[in-house]
Amino acid sequence: MSVSYGRDLALDDVTLSVARGEAVALIGPNGAGKSTLLKAILGLLPLTEGRVEVLGQRPEDARERVGYVQQADTLDAEFPVSVLQVVLMGRYRAIGWFRRPGADDRRQAMEALAEVGLADRAKDRFGTLSGGQRQRVLLARAIAQHAQLLLLDEPFNGLDATTTDILIEVLARMRADGVGVVMSTHDLAVAHLTCGDACVLNRRRVAYGPIGEAITPGTLAEAYGSRAVQLASGATVVTTTTTTTTTG
Amino acid sequence: MFRLLVEPFRDAYMQRALVEILVLSALAGVVSVYVLLRRLAFVGDALTHTIFPGIAIAFVAGHSLFLGALFAGLASAVLLTAATRIRGIDHDAALGVLVGAFFSLGVVIVSTQSSYTADLTALLFGLIHTVATTEIIETTAIAVGVLVVLRLTHKELVLRAFDPVAAEAMGYRTLLLDLVVNGLVALVVVAGVRAVGTVLVIALLVVPGAIARLVSERIAPMIVVAVGAAGLCGYLGLAASYEASLNHNVRLGSGATVVVALTFAFVLTAAFSTLVRRRHRAALGPALPA
Repeated sequence: MSVSYGRDLALDDVTLSVARGEAVALIGPNGAGKSTLLKAILGLLPLTEGRVEVLGQRPEDARERVGYVQQADTLDAEFPVSVLQVVLMGRYRAIGWFRRPGADDRRQAMEALAEVGLADRAKDRFGTLSGGQRQRVLLARAIAQHAQLLLLDEPFNGLDATTTDILIEVLARMRADGVGVVMSTHDLAVAHLTCGDACVLNRRRVAYGPIGEAITPGTLAEAYGSRAVQLASGATVVTTTTTTTTTG
Repeated sequence: MFRLLVEPFRDAYMQRALVEILVLSALAGVVSVYVLLRRLAFVGDALTHTIFPGIAIAFVAGHSLFLGALFAGLASAVLLTAATRIRGIDHDAALGVLVGAFFSLGVVIVSTQSSYTADLTALLFGLIHTVATTEIIETTAIAVGVLVVLRLTHKELVLRAFDPVAAEAMGYRTLLLDLVVNGLVALVVVAGVRAVGTVLVIALLVVPGAIARLVSERIAPMIVVAVGAAGLCGYLGLAASYEASLNHNVRLGSGATVVVALTFAFVLTAAFSTLVRRRHRAALGPALPA
Protein backbone atom coordinates (compact mmCIF):
# COMPACT_ATOMS: atom_id res chain seq x y z
CA MET A 1 0.00 0.00 0.00
CA SER A 2 0.97 3.65 -0.36
CA VAL A 3 -0.34 6.58 1.69
CA SER A 4 0.21 10.30 1.10
CA TYR A 5 -0.51 13.41 3.12
CA GLY A 6 -1.09 15.94 0.38
CA ARG A 7 1.97 15.71 -1.87
CA ASP A 8 4.01 14.11 0.88
CA LEU A 9 4.37 10.37 0.39
CA ALA A 10 4.21 8.89 3.92
CA LEU A 11 4.33 5.25 2.92
CA ASP A 12 5.66 4.09 -0.42
CA ASP A 13 4.61 0.65 -1.58
CA VAL A 14 4.79 -1.18 1.78
CA THR A 15 3.50 -4.73 1.86
CA LEU A 16 3.11 -6.95 4.91
CA SER A 17 0.78 -9.58 6.26
CA VAL A 18 -0.05 -10.90 9.71
CA ALA A 19 -1.47 -14.36 10.26
CA ARG A 20 -3.57 -15.34 13.28
CA GLY A 21 -1.38 -15.67 16.35
CA GLU A 22 1.53 -13.96 14.62
CA ALA A 23 3.12 -10.66 15.60
CA VAL A 24 4.95 -8.12 13.47
CA ALA A 25 7.10 -5.36 14.93
CA LEU A 26 7.24 -2.11 12.97
CA ILE A 27 10.71 -0.69 13.41
CA GLY A 28 11.83 2.68 12.15
CA PRO A 29 12.70 6.23 13.14
CA ASN A 30 10.12 8.90 14.03
CA GLY A 31 8.31 9.93 10.87
CA ALA A 32 9.02 6.59 9.19
CA GLY A 33 5.30 5.98 8.73
CA LYS A 34 4.70 3.47 11.54
CA SER A 35 1.62 5.25 12.90
CA THR A 36 0.45 5.92 9.35
CA LEU A 37 0.63 2.21 8.61
CA LEU A 38 -1.43 1.39 11.72
CA LYS A 39 -4.04 4.01 10.81
CA ALA A 40 -4.22 2.61 7.29
CA ILE A 41 -4.93 -0.83 8.74
CA LEU A 42 -7.78 0.78 10.70
CA GLY A 43 -9.08 2.31 7.48
CA LEU A 44 -8.70 5.84 8.86
CA LEU A 45 -6.52 7.08 5.99
CA PRO A 46 -7.24 6.94 2.28
CA LEU A 47 -4.71 4.88 0.35
CA THR A 48 -2.96 6.42 -2.62
CA GLU A 49 -2.35 2.97 -4.00
CA GLY A 50 -2.80 -0.62 -3.00
CA ARG A 51 -5.22 -2.41 -0.74
CA VAL A 52 -5.68 -3.38 2.90
CA GLU A 53 -7.65 -6.43 3.93
CA VAL A 54 -8.38 -7.02 7.61
CA LEU A 55 -9.81 -10.35 8.76
CA GLY A 56 -11.17 -10.91 5.26
CA GLN A 57 -12.99 -7.56 5.17
CA ARG A 58 -12.44 -3.93 4.20
CA PRO A 59 -10.66 -2.23 7.13
CA GLU A 60 -13.59 0.08 7.88
CA ASP A 61 -15.88 -2.95 8.21
CA ALA A 62 -13.50 -4.86 10.47
CA ARG A 63 -12.89 -2.13 13.08
CA GLU A 64 -15.07 -3.76 15.72
CA ARG A 65 -12.72 -6.75 15.75
CA VAL A 66 -9.54 -4.65 15.71
CA GLY A 67 -8.10 -3.39 18.98
CA TYR A 68 -6.02 -0.23 18.93
CA VAL A 69 -3.73 0.77 21.79
CA GLN A 70 -2.16 4.22 21.55
CA GLN A 71 0.25 5.91 23.92
CA ALA A 72 -1.60 6.61 27.15
CA ASP A 73 0.04 9.99 27.67
CA THR A 74 -1.94 11.41 24.73
CA LEU A 75 -5.08 11.27 26.91
CA ASP A 76 -6.34 14.01 29.23
CA ALA A 77 -5.33 13.09 32.78
CA GLU A 78 -7.94 15.45 34.26
CA PHE A 79 -10.88 13.81 32.51
CA PRO A 80 -13.46 12.66 35.09
CA VAL A 81 -13.58 8.99 34.14
CA SER A 82 -12.73 5.93 36.26
CA VAL A 83 -10.34 3.15 35.31
CA LEU A 84 -13.24 0.70 35.00
CA GLN A 85 -15.14 3.10 32.73
CA VAL A 86 -12.14 3.32 30.40
CA VAL A 87 -11.91 -0.47 30.17
CA LEU A 88 -15.67 -0.71 29.61
CA MET A 89 -15.23 1.46 26.50
CA GLY A 90 -13.73 -1.64 24.90
CA ARG A 91 -17.16 -3.26 25.20
CA TYR A 92 -19.10 -0.39 23.58
CA ARG A 93 -19.25 -1.81 20.06
CA ALA A 94 -20.42 -5.17 21.38
CA ILE A 95 -23.02 -3.44 23.58
CA GLY A 96 -24.28 -1.35 20.66
CA TRP A 97 -25.95 2.05 20.44
CA PHE A 98 -28.51 3.26 22.98
CA ARG A 99 -27.72 0.52 25.54
CA ARG A 100 -25.74 0.68 28.73
CA PRO A 101 -23.04 -1.73 29.90
CA GLY A 102 -24.53 -4.70 31.78
CA ALA A 103 -23.24 -6.99 34.53
CA ASP A 104 -21.55 -9.25 31.99
CA ASP A 105 -19.68 -6.31 30.43
CA ARG A 106 -18.50 -5.25 33.89
CA ARG A 107 -17.32 -8.77 34.64
CA GLN A 108 -15.32 -8.89 31.40
CA ALA A 109 -13.85 -5.45 32.09
CA MET A 110 -12.84 -6.51 35.60
CA GLU A 111 -11.24 -9.70 34.24
CA ALA A 112 -9.26 -7.64 31.74
CA LEU A 113 -8.14 -5.30 34.54
CA ALA A 114 -7.10 -8.26 36.67
CA GLU A 115 -5.01 -9.58 33.77
CA VAL A 116 -3.00 -6.34 33.71
CA GLY A 117 -2.75 -6.31 37.52
CA LEU A 118 -4.98 -3.30 38.17
CA ALA A 119 -8.21 -4.81 39.50
CA ASP A 120 -7.75 -2.94 42.78
CA ARG A 121 -7.63 0.43 40.96
CA ALA A 122 -10.94 -0.02 39.09
CA LYS A 123 -12.73 2.80 40.91
CA ASP A 124 -9.88 5.31 40.81
CA ARG A 125 -9.87 8.16 38.34
CA PHE A 126 -7.86 7.24 35.24
CA GLY A 127 -5.61 10.29 35.57
CA THR A 128 -4.49 9.38 39.10
CA LEU A 129 -2.60 6.34 37.77
CA SER A 130 1.06 6.38 36.73
CA GLY A 131 1.97 6.48 33.03
CA GLY A 132 2.71 2.77 32.93
CA GLN A 133 -0.52 1.90 34.73
CA ARG A 134 -2.52 4.03 32.29
CA GLN A 135 -0.89 2.16 29.42
CA ARG A 136 -1.99 -1.10 31.05
CA VAL A 137 -5.56 0.23 31.34
CA LEU A 138 -5.60 0.87 27.58
CA LEU A 139 -4.30 -2.66 27.02
CA ALA A 140 -7.11 -3.96 29.30
CA ARG A 141 -9.57 -2.03 27.14
CA ALA A 142 -8.31 -3.90 24.06
CA ILE A 143 -8.50 -7.21 25.99
CA ALA A 144 -12.13 -6.49 26.95
CA GLN A 145 -12.87 -5.80 23.30
CA HIS A 146 -11.87 -9.39 22.41
CA ALA A 147 -10.14 -8.11 19.31
CA GLN A 148 -8.86 -10.58 16.73
CA LEU A 149 -6.20 -8.17 15.54
CA LEU A 150 -4.34 -5.92 17.95
CA LEU A 151 -2.55 -2.77 16.82
CA LEU A 152 -0.19 -1.07 19.27
CA ASP A 153 1.38 2.33 18.61
CA GLU A 154 4.63 2.59 20.60
CA PRO A 155 3.19 0.95 23.72
CA PHE A 156 6.58 0.54 25.40
CA ASN A 157 7.75 4.16 25.35
CA GLY A 158 9.11 5.21 28.71
CA LEU A 159 7.45 2.47 30.74
CA ASP A 160 8.34 0.91 34.08
CA ALA A 161 9.62 -2.69 34.27
CA THR A 162 6.35 -4.08 35.71
CA THR A 163 4.31 -2.66 32.86
CA THR A 164 6.76 -3.91 30.26
CA ASP A 165 6.65 -7.43 31.76
CA ILE A 166 2.85 -7.42 31.85
CA LEU A 167 2.62 -6.16 28.26
CA ILE A 168 4.97 -8.95 27.12
CA GLU A 169 2.91 -11.56 29.02
CA VAL A 170 -0.42 -10.32 27.74
CA LEU A 171 0.80 -10.16 24.13
CA ALA A 172 2.08 -13.75 24.40
CA ARG A 173 -1.25 -14.91 25.84
CA MET A 174 -3.25 -13.13 23.14
CA ARG A 175 -1.05 -14.57 20.39
CA ALA A 176 -1.57 -18.04 21.87
CA ASP A 177 -5.31 -17.37 21.62
CA GLY A 178 -4.93 -16.63 17.92
CA VAL A 179 -4.88 -12.84 17.99
CA GLY A 180 -2.66 -11.20 15.35
CA VAL A 181 -0.46 -8.34 16.59
CA VAL A 182 1.10 -5.37 14.79
CA MET A 183 3.20 -3.17 17.06
CA SER A 184 5.29 -0.13 16.33
CA THR A 185 8.23 0.27 18.67
CA HIS A 186 11.70 1.67 19.11
CA ASP A 187 12.55 -0.99 21.68
CA LEU A 188 14.41 -3.67 19.77
CA ALA A 189 14.74 -5.94 22.83
CA VAL A 190 10.99 -5.89 23.44
CA ALA A 191 10.39 -6.42 19.72
CA HIS A 192 12.46 -9.59 19.88
CA LEU A 193 10.59 -10.79 22.98
CA THR A 194 7.11 -10.23 21.59
CA CYS A 195 7.23 -10.55 17.81
CA GLY A 196 8.20 -13.29 15.40
CA ASP A 197 8.44 -10.98 12.42
CA ALA A 198 9.67 -7.47 11.89
CA CYS A 199 9.17 -4.83 9.23
CA VAL A 200 11.90 -2.20 9.14
CA LEU A 201 10.46 0.99 7.71
CA ASN A 202 11.54 4.38 6.59
CA ARG A 203 8.64 5.51 4.43
CA ARG A 204 9.37 2.46 2.33
CA ARG A 205 9.92 -1.10 3.39
CA VAL A 206 13.63 -1.56 4.19
CA ALA A 207 13.39 -5.16 5.36
CA TYR A 208 10.63 -7.61 6.23
CA GLY A 209 10.68 -11.17 7.52
CA PRO A 210 11.55 -13.23 10.60
CA ILE A 211 12.77 -10.73 13.17
CA GLY A 212 16.29 -12.16 13.40
CA GLU A 213 16.77 -11.70 9.66
CA ALA A 214 14.93 -8.41 9.20
CA ILE A 215 16.70 -6.51 11.97
CA THR A 216 20.39 -6.39 11.14
CA PRO A 217 23.00 -3.68 11.54
CA GLY A 218 22.65 -3.09 7.81
CA THR A 219 18.86 -2.65 7.75
CA LEU A 220 18.93 -0.46 10.87
CA ALA A 221 21.61 1.74 9.32
CA GLU A 222 19.47 2.02 6.21
CA ALA A 223 16.32 2.95 8.14
CA TYR A 224 17.81 5.15 10.84
CA GLY A 225 20.74 6.64 8.89
CA SER A 226 23.26 8.32 11.13
CA ARG A 227 21.11 7.58 14.20
CA ALA A 228 22.14 3.90 14.04
CA VAL A 229 25.56 3.51 15.59
CA GLN A 230 27.52 0.30 15.32
CA LEU A 231 29.47 -0.54 18.48
CA ALA A 232 32.85 -2.28 18.60
CA SER A 233 31.15 -5.43 19.89
CA GLY A 234 29.20 -5.67 16.66
CA ALA A 235 25.89 -4.60 18.25
CA THR A 236 23.95 -1.70 16.81
CA VAL A 237 22.55 1.05 19.01
CA VAL A 238 19.68 3.13 17.71
CA THR A 239 19.19 6.60 19.13
CA THR A 240 15.79 8.20 18.90
CA THR A 241 14.34 11.39 20.20
CA THR A 242 11.25 10.51 22.13
CA THR A 243 9.44 13.04 24.24
CA THR A 244 7.92 11.50 27.29
CA THR A 245 5.48 13.63 29.20
CA THR A 246 4.53 12.66 32.69
CA THR A 247 1.42 14.07 34.23
CA GLY A 248 -0.38 13.59 37.49
CA MET B 1 -35.58 35.40 55.08
CA PHE B 2 -38.78 33.49 54.37
CA ARG B 3 -40.29 36.66 52.96
CA LEU B 4 -37.32 37.18 50.65
CA LEU B 5 -37.49 33.66 49.28
CA VAL B 6 -41.24 33.11 49.02
CA GLU B 7 -42.90 36.47 48.59
CA PRO B 8 -41.52 37.18 45.09
CA PHE B 9 -43.30 34.15 43.70
CA ARG B 10 -46.87 35.02 44.73
CA ASP B 11 -47.65 36.61 41.38
CA ALA B 12 -48.48 34.38 38.44
CA TYR B 13 -45.90 36.00 36.14
CA MET B 14 -43.13 35.34 38.70
CA GLN B 15 -44.30 31.75 39.09
CA ARG B 16 -44.07 31.28 35.34
CA ALA B 17 -40.62 32.86 35.35
CA LEU B 18 -39.56 30.48 38.12
CA VAL B 19 -40.84 27.39 36.31
CA GLU B 20 -39.11 28.52 33.10
CA ILE B 21 -35.80 29.11 34.86
CA LEU B 22 -35.98 25.77 36.71
CA VAL B 23 -36.70 23.81 33.54
CA LEU B 24 -33.93 25.69 31.79
CA SER B 25 -31.55 25.01 34.69
CA ALA B 26 -32.19 21.27 34.56
CA LEU B 27 -31.56 21.31 30.81
CA ALA B 28 -28.52 23.59 30.79
CA GLY B 29 -27.10 21.94 33.90
CA VAL B 30 -26.99 18.51 32.27
CA VAL B 31 -25.71 19.80 28.94
CA SER B 32 -23.05 21.97 30.64
CA VAL B 33 -21.34 18.79 31.87
CA TYR B 34 -20.99 17.56 28.28
CA VAL B 35 -19.85 21.03 27.21
CA LEU B 36 -17.12 20.81 29.84
CA LEU B 37 -16.10 17.27 28.86
CA ARG B 38 -15.90 18.17 25.17
CA ARG B 39 -14.33 21.58 25.88
CA LEU B 40 -17.08 23.24 23.88
CA ALA B 41 -17.33 26.50 25.84
CA PHE B 42 -16.22 28.50 22.83
CA VAL B 43 -18.46 26.58 20.43
CA GLY B 44 -21.36 27.32 22.80
CA ASP B 45 -20.41 30.97 22.80
CA ALA B 46 -20.25 30.94 19.01
CA LEU B 47 -23.69 29.32 18.83
CA THR B 48 -25.27 32.06 20.93
CA HIS B 49 -24.05 34.54 18.33
CA THR B 50 -24.85 32.55 15.19
CA ILE B 51 -28.42 31.99 16.38
CA PHE B 52 -28.95 35.71 16.77
CA PRO B 53 -29.73 36.55 13.10
CA GLY B 54 -32.40 33.80 13.07
CA ILE B 55 -34.10 35.45 16.01
CA ALA B 56 -33.68 38.88 14.45
CA ILE B 57 -35.27 37.81 11.16
CA ALA B 58 -38.18 36.13 12.97
CA PHE B 59 -38.62 39.26 15.10
CA VAL B 60 -38.63 41.67 12.16
CA ALA B 61 -40.90 39.42 10.09
CA GLY B 62 -43.25 39.05 13.05
CA HIS B 63 -42.88 35.27 13.19
CA SER B 64 -42.29 33.11 16.28
CA LEU B 65 -38.90 33.91 17.79
CA PHE B 66 -38.78 30.32 18.94
CA LEU B 67 -39.04 28.95 15.41
CA GLY B 68 -36.50 31.49 14.15
CA ALA B 69 -34.05 30.49 16.87
CA LEU B 70 -34.72 26.79 16.35
CA PHE B 71 -34.03 27.00 12.63
CA ALA B 72 -30.96 29.20 13.05
CA GLY B 73 -29.74 27.02 15.93
CA LEU B 74 -29.82 23.76 14.02
CA ALA B 75 -28.34 25.39 10.91
CA SER B 76 -25.53 26.90 13.02
CA ALA B 77 -24.82 23.54 14.66
CA VAL B 78 -24.22 22.02 11.21
CA LEU B 79 -22.19 25.03 10.08
CA LEU B 80 -20.04 25.07 13.22
CA THR B 81 -19.39 21.35 13.10
CA ALA B 82 -18.26 21.77 9.50
CA ALA B 83 -16.18 24.86 10.33
CA THR B 84 -14.19 23.04 13.02
CA ARG B 85 -13.27 20.41 10.43
CA ILE B 86 -11.80 22.78 7.83
CA ARG B 87 -8.21 21.75 7.27
CA GLY B 88 -5.48 24.35 7.33
CA ILE B 89 -7.38 26.80 9.53
CA ASP B 90 -7.48 26.91 13.30
CA HIS B 91 -10.82 26.01 14.95
CA ASP B 92 -10.79 29.23 16.93
CA ALA B 93 -10.27 31.34 13.84
CA ALA B 94 -13.03 29.54 11.91
CA LEU B 95 -15.45 30.06 14.80
CA GLY B 96 -14.36 33.68 15.19
CA VAL B 97 -15.18 34.40 11.55
CA LEU B 98 -18.65 32.87 11.93
CA VAL B 99 -19.36 34.71 15.18
CA GLY B 100 -18.50 38.14 13.79
CA ALA B 101 -20.38 37.60 10.53
CA PHE B 102 -23.58 36.23 12.05
CA PHE B 103 -23.80 38.56 15.00
CA SER B 104 -23.37 41.69 12.91
CA LEU B 105 -25.92 40.35 10.44
CA GLY B 106 -28.39 40.02 13.34
CA VAL B 107 -27.69 43.54 14.58
CA VAL B 108 -28.08 44.96 11.05
CA ILE B 109 -31.47 43.27 10.73
CA VAL B 110 -32.72 44.53 14.11
CA SER B 111 -31.38 48.03 13.43
CA THR B 112 -33.91 48.43 10.58
CA GLN B 113 -36.60 48.70 13.26
CA SER B 114 -37.55 52.00 14.89
CA SER B 115 -37.71 50.41 18.34
CA TYR B 116 -34.16 49.21 17.77
CA THR B 117 -32.57 49.70 21.19
CA ALA B 118 -35.38 48.23 23.31
CA ASP B 119 -35.78 45.25 20.97
CA LEU B 120 -32.07 44.53 20.89
CA THR B 121 -31.90 44.66 24.68
CA ALA B 122 -34.74 42.16 25.01
CA LEU B 123 -33.11 39.76 22.57
CA LEU B 124 -29.66 40.06 24.08
CA PHE B 125 -30.56 39.97 27.75
CA GLY B 126 -33.86 38.14 27.88
CA LEU B 127 -37.28 38.99 29.22
CA ILE B 128 -38.13 36.23 31.62
CA HIS B 129 -41.00 38.11 33.25
CA THR B 130 -43.01 38.00 30.05
CA VAL B 131 -42.69 34.23 29.63
CA ALA B 132 -46.06 32.71 28.70
CA THR B 133 -47.30 29.21 29.43
CA THR B 134 -46.85 28.13 25.80
CA GLU B 135 -43.22 29.18 25.99
CA ILE B 136 -42.73 27.10 29.13
CA ILE B 137 -44.19 24.14 27.25
CA GLU B 138 -41.76 24.76 24.37
CA THR B 139 -38.80 24.89 26.75
CA THR B 140 -39.98 21.72 28.47
CA ALA B 141 -40.38 19.93 25.15
CA ILE B 142 -36.83 20.87 24.18
CA ALA B 143 -35.55 19.78 27.59
CA VAL B 144 -37.22 16.37 27.36
CA GLY B 145 -35.94 15.83 23.82
CA VAL B 146 -32.37 16.84 24.66
CA LEU B 147 -32.26 14.71 27.82
CA VAL B 148 -33.58 11.65 25.98
CA VAL B 149 -30.92 12.02 23.25
CA LEU B 150 -28.19 12.47 25.88
CA ARG B 151 -29.36 9.43 27.80
CA LEU B 152 -29.27 7.33 24.62
CA THR B 153 -25.88 8.52 23.36
CA HIS B 154 -24.15 9.10 26.70
CA LYS B 155 -21.50 6.40 26.46
CA GLU B 156 -20.53 7.25 22.89
CA LEU B 157 -20.34 10.99 23.65
CA VAL B 158 -18.10 10.37 26.67
CA LEU B 159 -15.86 8.04 24.65
CA ARG B 160 -15.54 10.64 21.90
CA ALA B 161 -14.76 13.36 24.43
CA PHE B 162 -12.18 11.29 26.30
CA ASP B 163 -10.48 9.44 23.46
CA PRO B 164 -11.37 10.59 19.94
CA VAL B 165 -8.68 8.38 18.38
CA ALA B 166 -10.09 5.23 19.99
CA ALA B 167 -13.63 6.26 19.04
CA GLU B 168 -12.59 6.46 15.38
CA ALA B 169 -10.54 3.28 15.63
CA MET B 170 -13.62 1.47 16.98
CA GLY B 171 -15.54 2.63 13.93
CA TYR B 172 -17.62 5.46 15.38
CA ARG B 173 -18.34 8.40 13.10
CA THR B 174 -17.02 11.21 15.25
CA LEU B 175 -18.46 13.81 12.87
CA LEU B 176 -21.93 12.45 13.64
CA LEU B 177 -21.26 12.51 17.39
CA ASP B 178 -20.00 16.11 17.13
CA LEU B 179 -23.11 17.06 15.22
CA VAL B 180 -25.29 15.55 17.94
CA VAL B 181 -23.52 17.49 20.71
CA ASN B 182 -23.48 20.77 18.80
CA GLY B 183 -27.15 20.30 17.94
CA LEU B 184 -28.00 19.75 21.61
CA VAL B 185 -26.02 22.82 22.67
CA ALA B 186 -27.84 24.82 19.99
CA LEU B 187 -31.18 23.64 21.39
CA VAL B 188 -30.21 24.82 24.88
CA VAL B 189 -29.32 28.21 23.44
CA VAL B 190 -32.68 28.32 21.66
CA ALA B 191 -34.48 27.41 24.89
CA GLY B 192 -32.49 29.89 26.98
CA VAL B 193 -32.70 32.91 24.70
CA ARG B 194 -36.03 34.16 26.04
CA ALA B 195 -35.17 33.76 29.69
CA VAL B 196 -31.63 35.08 29.85
CA GLY B 197 -30.90 36.32 26.33
CA THR B 198 -28.31 35.23 23.77
CA VAL B 199 -25.41 36.84 25.59
CA LEU B 200 -26.03 35.30 28.98
CA VAL B 201 -27.16 31.81 27.98
CA ILE B 202 -23.51 30.90 27.50
CA ALA B 203 -23.05 31.30 31.27
CA LEU B 204 -25.76 28.69 31.83
CA LEU B 205 -23.93 26.35 29.44
CA VAL B 206 -20.53 26.71 31.07
CA VAL B 207 -20.71 27.68 34.75
CA PRO B 208 -22.80 24.80 36.19
CA GLY B 209 -20.48 22.21 34.60
CA ALA B 210 -17.42 24.06 35.92
CA ILE B 211 -18.89 24.14 39.45
CA ALA B 212 -19.69 20.43 39.19
CA ARG B 213 -16.16 19.52 38.12
CA LEU B 214 -14.79 21.30 41.20
CA VAL B 215 -17.05 19.21 43.41
CA SER B 216 -16.80 15.76 41.80
CA GLU B 217 -14.47 13.61 39.72
CA ARG B 218 -17.23 11.42 38.34
CA ILE B 219 -19.69 12.24 35.59
CA ALA B 220 -22.97 11.09 37.19
CA PRO B 221 -22.57 13.13 40.40
CA MET B 222 -21.32 16.05 38.27
CA ILE B 223 -24.63 16.08 36.41
CA VAL B 224 -26.57 16.15 39.69
CA VAL B 225 -24.43 18.99 41.08
CA ALA B 226 -24.66 21.01 37.84
CA VAL B 227 -28.45 20.77 37.75
CA GLY B 228 -28.70 21.64 41.44
CA ALA B 229 -26.38 24.61 41.16
CA ALA B 230 -28.13 25.98 38.07
CA GLY B 231 -31.58 25.55 39.67
CA LEU B 232 -30.59 27.12 42.97
CA CYS B 233 -28.90 30.10 41.31
CA GLY B 234 -31.88 30.53 38.97
CA TYR B 235 -34.19 30.67 41.96
CA LEU B 236 -31.97 32.99 44.02
CA GLY B 237 -31.29 35.25 41.04
CA LEU B 238 -34.99 35.73 40.35
CA ALA B 239 -35.77 36.38 44.01
CA ALA B 240 -32.91 38.86 44.34
CA SER B 241 -33.86 40.83 41.23
CA TYR B 242 -37.49 40.99 42.42
CA GLU B 243 -36.51 42.18 45.88
CA ALA B 244 -34.09 44.80 44.57
CA SER B 245 -36.51 46.13 41.97
CA LEU B 246 -39.60 46.28 44.17
CA ASN B 247 -38.37 47.08 47.63
CA HIS B 248 -35.11 48.90 47.04
CA ASN B 249 -35.88 50.69 43.82
CA VAL B 250 -32.81 49.22 42.11
CA ARG B 251 -33.69 47.68 38.76
CA LEU B 252 -31.73 44.46 38.38
CA GLY B 253 -32.18 42.56 35.11
CA SER B 254 -33.34 39.13 36.23
CA GLY B 255 -31.45 37.13 33.60
CA ALA B 256 -28.22 38.91 34.44
CA THR B 257 -28.86 38.49 38.18
CA VAL B 258 -29.18 34.73 37.67
CA VAL B 259 -25.81 34.73 35.94
CA VAL B 260 -24.26 36.84 38.70
CA ALA B 261 -25.58 34.28 41.23
CA LEU B 262 -24.02 31.47 39.19
CA THR B 263 -20.69 33.25 38.99
CA PHE B 264 -20.80 33.90 42.72
CA ALA B 265 -21.51 30.20 43.32
CA PHE B 266 -18.55 29.29 41.11
CA VAL B 267 -16.17 31.58 42.98
CA LEU B 268 -17.34 30.23 46.34
CA THR B 269 -16.99 26.61 45.17
CA ALA B 270 -13.54 27.28 43.73
CA ALA B 271 -12.37 28.88 46.96
CA PHE B 272 -13.86 26.08 49.04
CA SER B 273 -12.38 23.30 46.90
CA THR B 274 -8.93 24.93 46.98
CA LEU B 275 -9.20 25.06 50.77
CA VAL B 276 -10.28 21.41 51.00
CA ARG B 277 -7.45 20.31 48.72
CA ARG B 278 -4.90 22.22 50.77
CA ARG B 279 -6.17 20.64 53.99
CA HIS B 280 -6.19 17.24 52.36
CA ARG B 281 -2.61 17.71 51.24
CA ALA B 282 -1.60 19.00 54.67
CA ALA B 283 -3.22 15.96 56.30
CA LEU B 284 -1.45 13.59 53.89
CA GLY B 285 1.83 15.44 54.17
CA PRO B 286 3.44 13.73 57.18
CA ALA B 287 2.42 10.29 55.90
CA LEU B 288 4.32 10.73 52.63
CA PRO B 289 7.89 9.52 52.51
CA ALA B 290 10.38 12.37 52.57
